[in-house]
Amino acid sequence: MTTVTPENSLEPISKAVRGRKSRAREEELLVWPDLVFIEFICAVLFTVLILILSVLVDAVLLDRANPAITPNPSKAPWYFLNLQELLLHMHPALAGVIVPTVALVALGAIPYFDSSSEGQGEWLSTPRAWLNLWVGALVGFFGTLLLILYDASKHVKIFEMIANGTLSPRAPSTPSAEQYAAALEARGDAVPSGLQEIINGANPVLSATDTVPSEFYSQSIWNGASGYTAWPESLEFLTTMRGIQNNIPWPEWSKSIPLGNLLRTDLFGFPRIELNIDIAALIVEQIIPVTAMIGLPVLLAAVASKTGIAQTKRDHMIMQFSGFIAVYVILTVVGTYFRGIGLELEPYTIFSHG
Amino acid sequence: MASNERPQRGTLGDRLYDAAFQNRLWRSIFRSGYPNTPRNQMLAVATNVFLHLHPTRIHRTHVKITHTFCLGGLSFFLFLGLTITGVLLMFYYVPSIERAYQDILALETDVRFGQLMRNMHRWMAHGMVLTVIMHMMRVFYTGAYKPPREFNWVIGVVLLVLTLLLSFTGYLLPWDQLALWAITVGTNMVGSAPILGEPNRFVLVGGYQVGQAALIRFYTLHVIGLPLIAAVFMMVHFWRIRRDGGLARPL
Ligand code: HEM
Repeated sequence: MTTVTPENSLEPISKAVRGRKSRAREEELLVWPDLVFIEFICAVLFTVLILILSVLVDAVLLDRANPAITPNPSKAPWYFLNLQELLLHMHPALAGVIVPTVALVALGAIPYFDSSSEGQGEWLSTPRAWLNLWVGALVGFFGTLLLILYDASKHVKIFEMIANGTLSPRAPSTPSAEQYAAALEARGDAVPSGLQEIINGANPVLSATDTVPSEFYSQSIWNGASGYTAWPESLEFLTTMRGIQNNIPWPEWSKSIPLGNLLRTDLFGFPRIELNIDIAALIVEQIIPVTAMIGLPVLLAAVASKTGIAQTKRDHMIMQFSGFIAVYVILTVVGTYFRGIGLELEPYTIFSHG
Repeated sequence: MASNERPQRGTLGDRLYDAAFQNRLWRSIFRSGYPNTPRNQMLAVATNVFLHLHPTRIHRTHVKITHTFCLGGLSFFLFLGLTITGVLLMFYYVPSIERAYQDILALETDVRFGQLMRNMHRWMAHGMVLTVIMHMMRVFYTGAYKPPREFNWVIGVVLLVLTLLLSFTGYLLPWDQLALWAITVGTNMVGSAPILGEPNRFVLVGGYQVGQAALIRFYTLHVIGLPLIAAVFMMVHFWRIRRDGGLARPL
């Protein structure tokens, strides 16, 4: 039998509580009035602030709800627009459920990763705290912004701007049948007989000055003929994330692999599960996003370790947490102000999120 | 602050003071006299159920505004304000898809201060999401999640989720286009989870699309379910702050 003494009864309590210096009375203030008054003033100030705001700005009320009319764009409340933004870049299950769940669990686990007591109770008091905050925040902010711009194929625009030396990169407009045939001849290519008929006036519907029909037309040939340098066709799959799926000739079998057949749920009286895997979609919607979301922070941490920017656990925590907040902010801002009709990437300033 | 424990008798002011704060009525309500001596100031805090959330003395660095920016306190303050304005809004609101939108319109036009109440509720709700997130950032950057406060951080994360859910459930109630489609987009996200997503969405919305069943579910969660749960977690949160020895400070 063990007797409970004041000593061992304290055993389970963390060292941090037991080991703290006894309080020096002269270091302390009375809660009344020193704190209660501050709280009171804070409360009054905020009441006034909210009153003024509420008198000046009315809460939004649109038309009565109508399930038959889907507004374009339809947006979630602002604090979820970051998730809605993710939805545009990856599988909905990832963006809508798995990412937020993992993020919250990771957030809750912070104290269990970093349980040292350094830097406790004071603003950013460890040696490299500010450095790590800025590195994490800037990398998170601009890294995410670049990824968003990449998925909106802005890099293609920039390439064409530089290649053509113009600030308004626009592929030349589609030519007439006549012009296009001339371009083909200049290249030394044969003019297809259908196109020849149009030019000779043998086509009952189209004439030589009409726009060339799409079955004869190749954008890249016309670009070349009119001296326009477009994004190389061989790199078409790098225009957006989807390009990997759409612009690579994936073999037919890879588009629907019936994994569901492997799970014999019917043996247990449940219906068969429909689970057909499309490898290209799997890569684009799941493997790449997951690799990026885990890999990029890990890469950042590794670089920070190597360069000595982050040395302690607290350093890494500050960097990752700041990065997380920055990513949350940029995704929310883009989702709120830069997703317009059809959720295209463009400025959008209707205050419909009040 | 008087240095001796009892105010001196004699002047008119003192006699008025005694009449006001030393009588039986005052004493029956507040166990201490007016808090003008250190003893009474500590008693005022320790014997009052609301002020008792605080310790009687705190470290001088924690009184500095820049240590907490009052953000946790403000989150709590907004929660209280939302409760008060929310109760007032409930007087005029019926959670039925026939009436809800009409009720909000009537609230804005026919009810005195109705628009103001609605505005305050709305802005405080947005404000609370912001203050809670900023409070979390202040706790993080002051390293206040470190032992022994790990678990209070976890409770904080739960409070963050509850705050978002409170705001989200409230979003549907005006039953306008904004409400309907924001909730449709939001709940569709839940529905996209593998295997359990669709059943979960069905339970949340009470059907295949956002309609009467969803409205009554969101309403019930918004006005009673979630506030109760949040209040309980806040109690634990505040209790833990006291138990963990007040706010964190350098060891
Ligand atoms: C409804 C939401 C919340 C309310 C009403 C609330 C309230 C408070 C209050 C009043 C304090 C006292 C100090 C201060 O004002 O900063 C506090 C401290 C604390 N809060 Fe919260 N909080 C909330 C959410 C959170 C969240 C989201 C987290 C973290 C994820 C968190 C973690 C903490 C911790 C660890 C402390 C102790 C800080 C220290 O020792 O310096 N709380 N909270």
